[in-house]
Amino acid sequence: MRRQYAFRSMTLIAGFGLVALAILVQMIRIQNSEQAAIFLSQGDQYAGEFRMFYPERGEIYDRNGHLLAGNRTVYEVGVSLSEMEDPDALAFTLGTYLGLTYEEVFKKLTESPDTWSYVVIQDYVDANIVAALQEQIKQLEAAKDFRLQGIAFKPHFQRSYPETSLASNVLGFVTRDGRGYFGIEEKYNDLLAGNPVQVWVPRDPNKATEIPRVPNGTTLVLTLNRDLQARVESILDKALIEYGAQNGAIVVMDPRNGEILAMSTTPRMDLNNYTNYFSLYNDGSQYNRSIGTAYEPGSVMKVLTMAAALDTGLVKPETTYVDTGSIQVGGFTIQNWDKEAWGEQNMVGCLQHSLNVCMAWISTQMGPTTFYGYMERFGFGHPTGVDLAGEAMGRLKTPGDSDWYNVDLGTNAFGQGVTATPLQMLMAASAIANDGKMVTPHILYSMLRDGHQYNVPSQYGGSPITAQTAHTLSEMLAQSLNAESSEALLSGYRVAGKTGTAQIPTEFGYDPSVTNASFIGWGPVDDPQFMIYVWLNAPTSSIWGSQTAAPTFSKVAEQTVILLNIPPDNVRFQLTSK
Amino acid sequence: MQATQIIHAYKQAPWRVQRQYAGAFLLFVIGASMVAALYLTVTARAAVTGREIQELRVEITALQRVNADLETQLADLTSTVVMQQRAFALGYRPVKPGELEYVAVSGFLAPEPSILLAAEDVTSPERIIPEAYTQSLIEWFDKQIKFGGAKQP
Repeated sequence: MRRQYAFRSMTLIAGFGLVALAILVQMIRIQNSEQAAIFLSQGDQYAGEFRMFYPERGEIYDRNGHLLAGNRTVYEVGVSLSEMEDPDALAFTLGTYLGLTYEEVFKKLTESPDTWSYVVIQDYVDANIVAALQEQIKQLEAAKDFRLQGIAFKPHFQRSYPETSLASNVLGFVTRDGRGYFGIEEKYNDLLAGNPVQVWVPRDPNKATEIPRVPNGTTLVLTLNRDLQARVESILDKALIEYGAQNGAIVVMDPRNGEILAMSTTPRMDLNNYTNYFSLYNDGSQYNRSIGTAYEPGSVMKVLTMAAALDTGLVKPETTYVDTGSIQVGGFTIQNWDKEAWGEQNMVGCLQHSLNVCMAWISTQMGPTTFYGYMERFGFGHPTGVDLAGEAMGRLKTPGDSDWYNVDLGTNAFGQGVTATPLQMLMAASAIANDGKMVTPHILYSMLRDGHQYNVPSQYGGSPITAQTAHTLSEMLAQSLNAESSEALLSGYRVAGKTGTAQIPTEFGYDPSVTNASFIGWGPVDDPQFMIYVWLNAPTSSIWGSQTAAPTFSKVAEQTVILLNIPPDNVRFQLTSK
Repeated sequence: MQATQIIHAYKQAPWRVQRQYAGAFLLFVIGASMVAALYLTVTARAAVTGREIQELRVEITALQRVNADLETQLADLTSTVVMQQRAFALGYRPVKPGELEYVAVSGFLAPEPSILLAAEDVTSPERIIPEAYTQSLIEWFDKQIKFGGAKQP
């Protein structure tokens, strides 16, 4: 009997054992089958997701820490179609809050492809609108009303410019795809944007790992002085109205290091509404005329011709020239601006009365090799290297060029037949204001990344003239301004400078009724701390730079000395002597 | 034959053997349960911590957004146009050159903007805090021995 039981028991054990073994074998077989690999990979797809982490775009500050470009949160508003309860209620509510029509929203909700589980209703929705909408949803849900179920809000950053149009020509703007256009935003786009990082984020909390830190984009501190920029823009706008000019540009630079303190052109745009770009500008060169538009500068160029002549030793301040009212160069007759003869003049007189004939005589005496050698060393025909996008090169024709003629040697000496941007003129003249050393203009003061500050060192573009020449010419320009009681003069401060009135070339030759009025100047003469370039395009109240650009220079200089804390000369000498 | 008898005499009672087996089995079960419990606890803690990490990550992102928003709002409130309007409303007007009085203050340095103060200037090789405030006693002894109090090169 016991044996019989034992046999049955053994049979059962063997049976169960076989079943267990079969299950085990089957488990191993399934887990190692081809299908298992497919299922595993499918499972992995739902175990987490690759997520792209976009760094916050770096901010832009002025030199005193005022925010010029930052970021603010906006929302993508969408609807999860699988959670949607009432398309009518959603279409009505979302249409009302987002400024869309009922039909528009309803169509998106009901006519989306079947494969879609989520539909975007509107992106870049303001945080205040989202807050109001969220409050509405909250109130309804508190009353057990779930008709608005399914609405989703996805926050993200949008570029924001607290100063709206201030320094818009310098900053540039960022479009919704995150790309910077013009100015700083384009030039430093890669630094500002940072590096997005793609990370696998598991849904299983057991597998949660620390996501690598995504460093924000580099924050930039500019050399701009926000308050001075605001004043300069205001002065430029008033000057355009007062003198009836079409547009203009004003640049303020520190001649000791090339830091651009203010840079203003017209028109300017509200950077928070960059779609206005196309209604304001015909092409990119107009966005920042200080660097993007090269024009014939006219008599301000005489400063550089005189610098070259003094530096070669061809002339001295007391060198005299008998002006007969005209000079022949390359078979053409060159005349003064008033077509008059000014008689015997020394070099200060030539500058003071802005005599074309005198300057053409100087350049022809120097010869093309020497004259153009100096002009190239002053940087004409080359970009300044300023750290802003969209810089124009200007044009300096030289002997050997197919369109260079002998007469160009004479006309170039007083700024005709040569084109330059206002910033190129400032860079060239910085050699005169800065002991013969020419500075490279720059707008970036410092970069901030990962808690570290990297200051941008000043760069020099060579020494086209000696310090002695620079001092002599600066003194000559100061004397000539004083002698003519120029409207550029600033009470209490000794400044040096030169006006420019250039006829605008057309396809039929130069139009005498339309001019570019310019002024370049710096001060205080004994220790220059600022340089200002003023350009007014086609002023109508007067065509002369001395009556339009010169007084504008004086107004800008007045605000500059106040905001940069530069005391009047007598006070400065007293303070220095103490 | 005698030896067999002795063995039989000392053979354990079956219930004792069964108890031993049961005891060993229970010991194994208890051990396995302890390991399982420990594993469960650790896993649960890891899960809770993982969830906390996920929540903190969301919180960090939200706080970064709030920070950026607040900075921009502050800049809006202190923008040039707004400040000018506030200044005019308070009765201020732009200063004229003749109205300014300049005073020489020896040792005065223009304040750096806070944005730059918050960052470490990597271009500056100079240490701001003197060594005496940062070095330990051992470091001081070491320096004294090496340089004998002379100025370190």
